[in-house]
Amino acid sequence: MKKKYKLMQKVPKTPKSAYNHGRFISSLIEHQIKHFHEVEKSLAKPGEALTDISKIKTELHASKYLKQMTARMHPQGTAQPQKTVKPQKPKRAAKRQPKAKAKTGRRKRK
Amino acid sequence: MAPTGLDKLKHIVVLMMENRSFDHMLGGLSLVMEKGKKKYPKINGLTGNESNPDMNGTIVKVQPNAKFQGQLDHDPDHHFPGVDLQIFGTTQQGAGRVANMQGFIKSYATQDTSIDQSHGIMAYFPPENLPVLTRLATEYAVFNGWFSSIPGPTICNRAFAHYGTSYGNVDMNLFFVQDPIVSIYDRMIQGGHTAKIYYYDQQSSTMEIVNLLKRQPQIFGSYSQFVADCNGNTLPDYCFIEPCYNDHPGPGGGQILASDQHPDHNVKEGERFIANTYNAIRTNQELWETTAMLVVYDEHGGIYDHVVPPNCDPNFPDGRSAAGDKTGTGVAFNFDRLGVRVPAILISPYIPRGTVIPGTEDPNGVIYEHACIPGTVTNFFLKNFENRTAREKNSKNFLTPLTDTLRPDDDCWVFDL
Repeated sequence: MKKKYKLMQKVPKTPKSAYNHGRFISSLIEHQIKHFHEVEKSLAKPGEALTDISKIKTELHASKYLKQMTARMHPQGTAQPQKTVKPQKPKRAAKRQPKAKAKTGRRKRK
Repeated sequence: MAPTGLDKLKHIVVLMMENRSFDHMLGGLSLVMEKGKKKYPKINGLTGNESNPDMNGTIVKVQPNAKFQGQLDHDPDHHFPGVDLQIFGTTQQGAGRVANMQGFIKSYATQDTSIDQSHGIMAYFPPENLPVLTRLATEYAVFNGWFSSIPGPTICNRAFAHYGTSYGNVDMNLFFVQDPIVSIYDRMIQGGHTAKIYYYDQQSSTMEIVNLLKRQPQIFGSYSQFVADCNGNTLPDYCFIEPCYNDHPGPGGGQILASDQHPDHNVKEGERFIANTYNAIRTNQELWETTAMLVVYDEHGGIYDHVVPPNCDPNFPDGRSAAGDKTGTGVAFNFDRLGVRVPAILISPYIPRGTVIPGTEDPNGVIYEHACIPGTVTNFFLKNFENRTAREKNSKNFLTPLTDTLRPDDDCWVFDL
């Protein structure tokens, strides 16, 4: 049975509109790509074609290249992203609801 | 005798986020009032009067109008020359200049931003807009004086977190480890301990020295493995967590958002990532009571902070120098001063609520930087370890906020995601 917690802080959701895999890569990702390209060069067999990283312009392009290179060096890392860790809220004492009117029209016992 | 919190400690977890300054994320806490008094008087945040001149000479004050996304879509400069301008307010080099934190708008204005856009570099978040970081900073220990290790960009700063040095680099270029100084992961494994770097997923991968991934894939894991290790009580003695660095399609047609908070990624997603990582530890009672988690940012990302970065102790040097052509300013850098201040929060149930570790504002304050990460981890798990820089050996212990008293479970928050 999951534990219940007393102090819980609600965390707002990120809007779906935040997602943009067509965003141009930042200097940070550009350098990450360059670092992986150095490793790609070091792993290449003679005559093996290398990725043309000048064509990597967006975060989607970058993620595809990074996946390919990371899988080559770290095949163990294929696990899917973990869903959020959701603790259980304590159950609130149910508020007394006004009794619904009897549909049957029966009279209350006194 | 060590406090109980240290005696019980089995795991140290470091989560390093991207490119936000202390004042931008936490500076607003100093302006929170309660019953006519400052609610958090010990936090060295903003007064609301801090300012920078813009390109027209207009004085622009800090404003509580930081946006989650879209405000810093021109990634603010945080390479060495840019940060030098931000700190000194001028591009002129040489003796006699004084660090005054007056060049942030000037720096941002050089990036084809309009006058209005350039003012965005002075924006900070009202605490209520960052419920996760605010909650953690006010519930556990916040460091007033944690600075990035170098007034420069990501890769060289992150290197300090892994090696205690950047081997003379002040830029983003790939560098190679130079013996005899090895990574904290190598040290831990050689010493019979366990250590791991958890990157988010293969599409985001690692920002940590790619050579390490090539040479030692066994020290890497994915974020899903981190959560599984928390659930299964198999977390290593030391681990370092990387957020997601890019937006990419998820499994089954889903969407994975970048959670690193690097401009212009949505800050809310980073909040959720911090909360999720905290929850993974917090919701396992055995792990919670034996773990200290540090949330820290690699560097300020070109965003305003009011505290002048201090000099490094000349008695304990890094021992390296970057030539003028490497720094981009024409002047060599001897690793003798720190970069801009960043948010840093230490979390443990052995830390009293509202702990603030004083920094440069206090004569008895303590200066922290990223070399403190391998420094503290090495000293805690391995005791003596010779092959590291004098700077790292002399770095301050970030576990000092842990006390003898375990807070009751009902006194520690959990995030509802």
